[in-house]
Amino acid sequence: MEFEGIIQRLREIGAPGLVSTDEPRAADPEDKKDKGRAGDAFVLVEPSAIVGFLAACRDDAELAFDLLVDLSATDPDAADEQFWIDYQLLSTTRRHRLAIKALVAKEGAEIPTATAVYRAAGWHERECAEMFGITFVGHPDPRNILLPDDWVGHPLRKDYEFPTEYHGISCE
Amino acid sequence: MEHGNLIHELLGGVAPEGVPAWAIVLVTAVIGVSLLIGVVSVIAMFSVWLERKVSGHIQCRYGPMYVGGWHGWAQSIADGVKLLMKEDMIPLGADRVLFVLAPALVLGSIFGAMAAMPLAPGFYFADINLGVFFILGMSALTTIGVIMSGWASNSKWSLYGAMREAAQVVAYEIPLGISLLAPLMVAGTFNLLEASEAQSGWFGMKWFVFQNPFLIPAAILFFVAALAETKRAPFDLPEAESELVAGFMTEYSGIRWSFFFMEEYAAMFLMSLVGAVFFFGGFESPFTSLAEWAFVTEAGADGSALRTAGLFELPLLYHVTAGTVLAAKALFGVFLMMWVRWTVPRVRIDQVMTMGYKYLTPLALVVVLFAGTWEWLLS
Amino acid sequence: MIESNQDPAAAMSERITFPGASRTLPTGEREFMMDVRTADLEINMGPQHPATHGVMRILIRTDGELITGAQPHLGYLHRCAEKIGENVEWLQYLPYTDRYDYLAAMNNNLGYSMAVEALLGEEIPRRAQMLRTICAELNRIGSHLIAFGTYGLDLGAFTPFLYAFREREWMMALFEKICGARLTYSYLRIGGVFNDTPPGWLQEVEHFCDVFEEKHKEYVDLLMMNHIFVKRTADIGVIPVEMALDFGLTGPMIRGSGIDFDLRRDTPYMLYGELIDAGAFDVVLGSGAKGTLGDCWDRFYVRVMEMIESIKIIRWCLGSIEPGPVIAALPKVLKVPAGEAYVGIENPRGELGHFVVSDGGKVARRVRVRGPSFCNLAVLEAIMPGTLLADAVAIVGSTDVVIGETDR
Repeated sequence: MEFEGIIQRLREIGAPGLVSTDEPRAADPEDKKDKGRAGDAFVLVEPSAIVGFLAACRDDAELAFDLLVDLSATDPDAADEQFWIDYQLLSTTRRHRLAIKALVAKEGAEIPTATAVYRAAGWHERECAEMFGITFVGHPDPRNILLPDDWVGHPLRKDYEFPTEYHGISCE
Repeated sequence: MEHGNLIHELLGGVAPEGVPAWAIVLVTAVIGVSLLIGVVSVIAMFSVWLERKVSGHIQCRYGPMYVGGWHGWAQSIADGVKLLMKEDMIPLGADRVLFVLAPALVLGSIFGAMAAMPLAPGFYFADINLGVFFILGMSALTTIGVIMSGWASNSKWSLYGAMREAAQVVAYEIPLGISLLAPLMVAGTFNLLEASEAQSGWFGMKWFVFQNPFLIPAAILFFVAALAETKRAPFDLPEAESELVAGFMTEYSGIRWSFFFMEEYAAMFLMSLVGAVFFFGGFESPFTSLAEWAFVTEAGADGSALRTAGLFELPLLYHVTAGTVLAAKALFGVFLMMWVRWTVPRVRIDQVMTMGYKYLTPLALVVVLFAGTWEWLLS
Repeated sequence: MIESNQDPAAAMSERITFPGASRTLPTGEREFMMDVRTADLEINMGPQHPATHGVMRILIRTDGELITGAQPHLGYLHRCAEKIGENVEWLQYLPYTDRYDYLAAMNNNLGYSMAVEALLGEEIPRRAQMLRTICAELNRIGSHLIAFGTYGLDLGAFTPFLYAFREREWMMALFEKICGARLTYSYLRIGGVFNDTPPGWLQEVEHFCDVFEEKHKEYVDLLMMNHIFVKRTADIGVIPVEMALDFGLTGPMIRGSGIDFDLRRDTPYMLYGELIDAGAFDVVLGSGAKGTLGDCWDRFYVRVMEMIESIKIIRWCLGSIEPGPVIAALPKVLKVPAGEAYVGIENPRGELGHFVVSDGGKVARRVRVRGPSFCNLAVLEAIMPGTLLADAVAIVGSTDVVIGETDR
């Protein structure tokens, strides 16, 4: 199924939390400042409804997104107020993909965990949590995964300051 | 024919008048033990080199090629020197006494077992009537050393290795012993010299496996059990380098580690010797028969020498030939063990146990039954 | 620490059944005889362990040889590749992609290049696509050869490992000829490939294919169909279909469970659509031939047989490659249009995904790498309990994990 078909189906089944869609477009020739947008189309989803949305995507027979391929966050800019949390779904039977994006405020960032829908989310969320400082509410095993347990700061944030010292080891 | 201890006879021949008999025995023992340790160590080192060459050629490479010139023959010597010079390390939490004692016990018991093993018709140190039991008993003693090392190392991996060794050896002692019963019935003796003697004839080819067809499966069972007994792949579970790091040897290094290593190769050689004596003719071969005919003087019925072709009064060349034949057979056995090791994957511990208790032991019993019946029918 | 679900004291008194096993001390306390106490043993498999294929640690709780709990600990090789991606120019990041799955660097280059090209919208010359396909598939063979060899090594068969390295050495020599590097190639660039092939290279690849097909039969006979090997891997580490999907497994892991899914065929990219139309290759699936569907043997089988499929792909490319340009004309300092793209390609270990975000500048806003090993490893926690210690090695080996990729 193409993107339009997926969106249509999502609207039909009334997937919870669907906010809008964003598709790549060419630059507007009238407006010099508008450079357009390249890349993939994605759907924007309300963070609080993400679990229901994912479950709807997985359980619908026509969408059948049985694989959560990726879950990651993006800090677009230090000045930006929000993190993006990106989910990549894949259907092994229908052979289509869907990119989902949820925007959460940086201040006290939190979003419900998707582990109940896809256990694959478990490790991805742990990585996201330590790299960005996002709390995944209800995560069964919220430990650091790649970083040491006592690491200070969240390295993939744009405002991250590289530590000068770790356990008495100079990093400069 | 009867052969005295060669060293003893040699010493008796050269000793001046007035030297008491016990002194000759004592000197014989000292020389003999030194020779034994020397021979076994050299064979173990040679086996290490052989293993590396065999594995190399099986794996499309050469193995050691530089040390010593010809095909890296001195590699083991160089390694031995290196191991001797390494720092002697004992882990902090280890039981120091047991840790030090374990490799000595392991190597000592295998040398002890070797003492009852005649390396040539006249080159033996203890002509024990129950020689084969002594050998099996002493070689089983290495297990105690392995368990000691595993416990003393204070490492979980070592402990696993030790426990596996204990379980495995107990399981495989049984088929090992039972499969040896079959040739023992044919030989009618537990004495290794006599067993070898019983296979002379047919121009040196009257081997037990050719005397009784049921000894062929018995020999295969013995080989498999011996593999497990000597911790060789596919039964190298106590070491299992991909599972237990190095098993009971994990915390060992330097010369202590090399003791375990030597023990492994000495045990392989010993098991192959036992197999060669009880299945494949011992000292007997066409070469031995030829040497015997050429060099050994036999007394006729009237006391005169029938044949005086012997080059020496003491048939030294005959003994050398017989010893070489036995060593060649045993080294072939060692080679077979290496071949197996570099060909097959390792079995799992439960599969090892299943195989030992459920298949090898009953099979060995059946083979003994048939071999015994065959003997009974023939007699 | 794996938290024990049993109180040790309760477990202790529960197991002591015969009288006299305890005594009352003068202080009034009851002392249990220590030699009848049993407890689970917690043991660290790694970070330095021969079978973890790198610096990974699995905390295992065992009852004798039986595993009752397993917990992978990662991060020993973490280099924060994603952070680097936000700090260097688009093309400068390419060599870093070599470093995550260092056994399939060509495929990593391909994944990253394709993600950036998805934003650029640039047309890739056909010869470049052919060369990319050949290199990616050759590298897949090399990677699967490592998987084949090290799996044998894990199970105690040393020799197949060196046989596999014999062919891999040749493969690396081929790559050395084409790009000068043996492990970290950086040969596939954004817009095409770095340079054209040296003379005679394609013929040599063809020769490699001929020889490899012969040698492949040896692999099958020597290891895959070996009785002991089958006994060690069949029915071990079974991943049912639902579990495979739930954990987001990809690549040979999911095909080993019988799920007919291959990104090369099902979301065709580059030339694979053409290849499928031409019937040039098939997707290998596990079938439970030696045991249960989805066991270690099935995964191993998929990897071994995929090598032959890769040979078929290479042969098809060799048959239809034509002279032409090998790289699109792109500026030296690349400015990528604003936008975001996720591109997943079929790496030897599964789906390698690159999620790149550009703000239209010379440097990426975000380079997210979805490493297949990272996701495939998560399933260990679920399938390891209940197996033996020796099976743990078999299971870890069957995931074919590359730590450089899990930790990035």
